[in-house]
Amino acid sequence: MTASSNSRRTFLAGATTLLSAGMVSRAGAASLPEAPVHASAATAAPLVPPNGRPYNPVVTLNGWSLPWRMKDGVKEFHLVAEPVVREVAPGMTANLWGYNGQSPGPTIEVVEGDRVRIFVTNKLPEHTSIHWHGQILPNGMDGVSGVTQPSIQPGKTFVYEFVAKHAGTFMYHPHADEMVQMAMGMMGFWVTHPKDIRQHAVDRDFVFLLGAYDIEPGSYTPQVNTMLDFNLWTFNSRVFPAIDPMVVRQGDRVRIRAGNLTMTNHPIHLHGHTFQVTGTDGGWVRPSARWPEVTTDIAVGQMRAIEFVADNPGDWAFHCHKSHHTMNAMGHDVPTLIGVDHRGVAEKINNLVPGYMVMGDKGGSMGSMRMALPENTLPMMTGTGQFGEIEMGGMFTLVKVREGQARGDYRDPGHYRHPKGSVAYEWTGELPPAPQAPGMAPLAPAQGKPVDVKRGGGHEHH
Amino acid sequence: MTSTPMATALAVPILALALSGCASFSPDGGMDAVNRATQARTGAATTLLRTEHDRNALAEQLKPMLAQPLGADDAVRIALLNNRALQATYWELGIAEADLVQAGRLQNPAFGYQHKRGGGSTSIERSLAVNLANLLTAPLAVRMERGRFEQAQLRVTSEALKTAAETRRAYYEAVGAAQAVEYAKQVAGAADASAELAQRMRKAGNWSAFDQAREAAFYAEAMADVARASSAASAARERLTRLLGLAGTEGGYRLPERLPELPAAAPELADVEQAALRERLDVRAAAKEAEHTAASLGLTRATRFINVLELGALREREGGEPVQRGYEVTLEIPLFDWGTARTRRAEAVYMQAVNRVAETAVNARSEAREAYFAWRTAYDLARHYRDVVIPLRKQLSDETLLRYNGMLLSTFELLADAREQRVAVAAAIDALKEYWIADAGLEAALGGRPHGAAAAGDKPNEANKPNEANKPNEASQPNKPNKPDQTTGSTQHNAHGAHP
Repeated sequence: MTASSNSRRTFLAGATTLLSAGMVSRAGAASLPEAPVHASAATAAPLVPPNGRPYNPVVTLNGWSLPWRMKDGVKEFHLVAEPVVREVAPGMTANLWGYNGQSPGPTIEVVEGDRVRIFVTNKLPEHTSIHWHGQILPNGMDGVSGVTQPSIQPGKTFVYEFVAKHAGTFMYHPHADEMVQMAMGMMGFWVTHPKDIRQHAVDRDFVFLLGAYDIEPGSYTPQVNTMLDFNLWTFNSRVFPAIDPMVVRQGDRVRIRAGNLTMTNHPIHLHGHTFQVTGTDGGWVRPSARWPEVTTDIAVGQMRAIEFVADNPGDWAFHCHKSHHTMNAMGHDVPTLIGVDHRGVAEKINNLVPGYMVMGDKGGSMGSMRMALPENTLPMMTGTGQFGEIEMGGMFTLVKVREGQARGDYRDPGHYRHPKGSVAYEWTGELPPAPQAPGMAPLAPAQGKPVDVKRGGGHEHH
Repeated sequence: MTSTPMATALAVPILALALSGCASFSPDGGMDAVNRATQARTGAATTLLRTEHDRNALAEQLKPMLAQPLGADDAVRIALLNNRALQATYWELGIAEADLVQAGRLQNPAFGYQHKRGGGSTSIERSLAVNLANLLTAPLAVRMERGRFEQAQLRVTSEALKTAAETRRAYYEAVGAAQAVEYAKQVAGAADASAELAQRMRKAGNWSAFDQAREAAFYAEAMADVARASSAASAARERLTRLLGLAGTEGGYRLPERLPELPAAAPELADVEQAALRERLDVRAAAKEAEHTAASLGLTRATRFINVLELGALREREGGEPVQRGYEVTLEIPLFDWGTARTRRAEAVYMQAVNRVAETAVNARSEAREAYFAWRTAYDLARHYRDVVIPLRKQLSDETLLRYNGMLLSTFELLADAREQRVAVAAAIDALKEYWIADAGLEAALGGRPHGAAAAGDKPNEANKPNEANKPNEASQPNKPNKPDQTTGSTQHNAHGAHP
C-alpha cells in the first residue's frame, strides 16, 4: 500500500497484472508518457500520488487509477482507446471497447489547479475523441468531434491539455460515434481532488460508473443498437456477485461517487445508513443545501457523490432500486406463470422436451436450481450469503462496515457476525387468531379468476 | 441368304425339323426362367399358382411372414407370389407355350375321298395331302414361336419386376406415411401441451383470451394435420395391400415403425448405363424382337417362291382300272408375284425392329441416368437432413432449453421449438422416404438389383425404437450413420451401382 512507481503497483487481489508499457512506438516513446495496462478486474489499491500535489486517493470499484508522469510541472497521462475483454463476472466475458486494457478505463486523479496533458492514442477500428465531462476547459479541448476538434483517426494520437480548475467528480467518454462507443463501454472516471488535502476529506472514497449492456445470452459483444432493453446492469462493467464489496471501518466517513452512463436513471439505495448528496458533476453541494436520504436518483449523464458515517456495523446492501436492475440477463417476454397449475402438462412437455423443469409457477425464484445455461451467460440471480441464496444480481453490492477493519485495509472481511439475538428468527410459538371484521366470513385465499371487467355498460344503444 | 439356291433353302429347315423334333409342353410352363430372372433381379422367387393346393400352400408360407413387421423385401416376395394381376400375367406364358407347341406340330395330313358315279362308271379318288409348306416351314415357325414364347417370358418377368418395384415404392410410401403420422401426433402433442398450459394461464388470470386462443388455434390446426397425415397413411397402406394381394385377416399385417436408414455411402455413377443395357428386360425383349424379325425375314426370303407349294400324294382308281399311284405338285409360277413385296415388307419390319432396339437402348440409358441422378439427389438430400438440418435443429433445441433454464425464454417458446423440431424431423423422414422410393426407381431403371443383393432396407432398424422417437435427441438423429448393420447396407449399395 505504499507509493509505487508507474511500472510497479500492488493490487488488492495481490496479483500484479500490469502487463506492458510498450504501447507506443519507439519514435513516439521519447515524447509520450507510458500507457500502463491493467488486465485484472479486481479492485486496485488506491494510487497514492508519488509526485505533484498530495491528495487522498480514491478506490475505483473493480478498477484502477492511471499513473502519470510529471513533465515541466505538467501531469502527463496516456490513454489508449482499444478493444478489451472485460470479465463481467466469473463465467462471463464481454468484448468491449475501453482504455488501457479495461472498460471502464482507468480513473484519472488530479488536484485542483493541476495542468494536465493527456495523450490519447486511438487503437480502435474507427475514429474517436474524448470529452472531459464536467471540466471547465478551453472549447477546443472539449472533445466533441466535428465541433471542437477533428476526430482522432485510428492509429493517431491526440493531445488534450487544460487546467483542472475545480475540485469535484467527473468522467470521460467519447463524443464520436457516440451511441456505439458508449454502448461498447468507452468511459472512465475522473476525480479532481481539492488543493487543500483536508477539504472534503473522507476516510474512504469509492468511485464507479453505472453502465448497461445488452449482451444476448450465448454471445460476447453488446448490441449497440439497444436503447432501453438492456440485460446487464453494471457497476464499472461488473455485475453482482462479481462487484467487490465496499469495505469500511466502523465510524469511517465514507464517500461513494457514481456516474450514470446508462440510458435510464438509477435510484441508488443504501441500507443501514442515511447519507447526504454532497457533490454532483457540477461541484460540491453547500452543506446548507444537503438533505438526508437513503436513496438518491442518479439521472442519465449525472454524477453524484454521497457521504455518510459508517456507524452501523454489518453487511449492508447497496443497489439500484429498479428491481430489474438487480437481476442479470433475463427474458423480458417470458409470461408470468405464477399460480398456473402444471400437473399433467409438465409430463406432456417432458415427453417432448426431456430435461424440462417447471419454473415460475410459484414465482420467479429458482432457489438453488443450478441448470445449464447458454454459454457466456450468467444466471439471473447468484451469490450466496451466510443465510442462503442472494436473489439479486446486476447493480448490487454490499457495504461492509466492520469495527476492527484497519485504516486503508480494503480486504473483504467475510460475512458479518451478527451479535446474538440480532437476526430475524422463526416464530415457533402460538399464533394469535387473525383479527376479523364482525359479521364477515373468514377470508379465503384468492382463487385467481381472470378479471372480468365489463366496459361501456349501457352505451351499446347510443 | 438371298443368293442361296432354293433347294438349299428348303433343305435347311427340313434338316432342322428332323433334328429338332416336335416342341412339347414343359413341366414348368416356362415359369422357371421367369422365376430365375426375377430372383436374380429382385432376390425374390415367383411361382405360378395352378391349383387350390398351391394357393393353400402359399397362404401357409405367408403366415409367418405376416406375423412379423414386414420388411421391404418381404413385401416384394409376397407381391411376386400373391399379386393376382401378376398371376394373370403368368398365365400368358401358358398361352404362349401352347402356341409354341402348336407350331411345332405338323398339320394333320388331309385325306381326300372322291366318289363319282355317272354313266355307269364309278370313280373313287382318294388323296392324302400334306401341307408341304407347313412341313417345310415348321422348324422356322417353331423358332419364331419359341421366340415369341421367350418374349412372353421376358414380358412376364418384366411385369413381375414392375410389380416388385411398385411394391417397393408403395412399401416405402406406406412406412413413411405411417411415420409421418407419428410425428404429426408429436407436433400435436406439443401444441396440446401449449394449449392446455395456455388455458391454465388464462384460468390463473395471467393471460388474455387472445393469448389462449392463439395457442388453442395451433393445437386445432395440428390436429387437422394429424387427420390429414392419417388419411394419407391409410391410402398408402391400402395401395400396398392391393399390390400384396392381401385380403381378410391378412390385411392386418404390420409395418415397421420407421424407414430403414440411409446407406452409409452412395455409389457413384459408374456403369449405370451399361448395367441398364445389360440387365433391362425391355432392352433384351427389343433385341429378341429384332432377332425374330430377322428370322422371319430369312423365312420370307426362303419361301418367296414356294408360297403355295403343295405336295400331294395321289392314289386314284377309275372304274375298274388298276389303282394309279403318284403325286402331284402344284408350284406357283412366279410370273406376276415374285414375292418381292413380301420380302420388302419383311425387311421393313426387320428394320423397324432394329430401330426399336436402338430406341429402347437410348431410352434405357437415358432413364438409367435420370433415375441415377434422381436417386443421387434424393440420397444427398436425405443425408443433408440427417447430417446437417437435424443436428442443427437439435442444437437449436438444446440452446432453447438452455435459454429456458435461464428464464430467458418461456415454456411456450420451448414448445414452439419442439413443434418446429418435429416438423424438421418430418421433413427428414420425407427425404428419407423419397430416397428409398428413388432407390426403387433406380432399381427398376437398371432392370432390377444385381444378383444376391438383398435390400438394404429389408430390416427396419432396430436402433430406432419407436419410443425413442419421443426424445428429441433421439428423434433428431432418426438415422444414426454408424450402426454396424448399416455397413452391410452400404456395401450392398456400392454393389448396386457398380455392378459390372
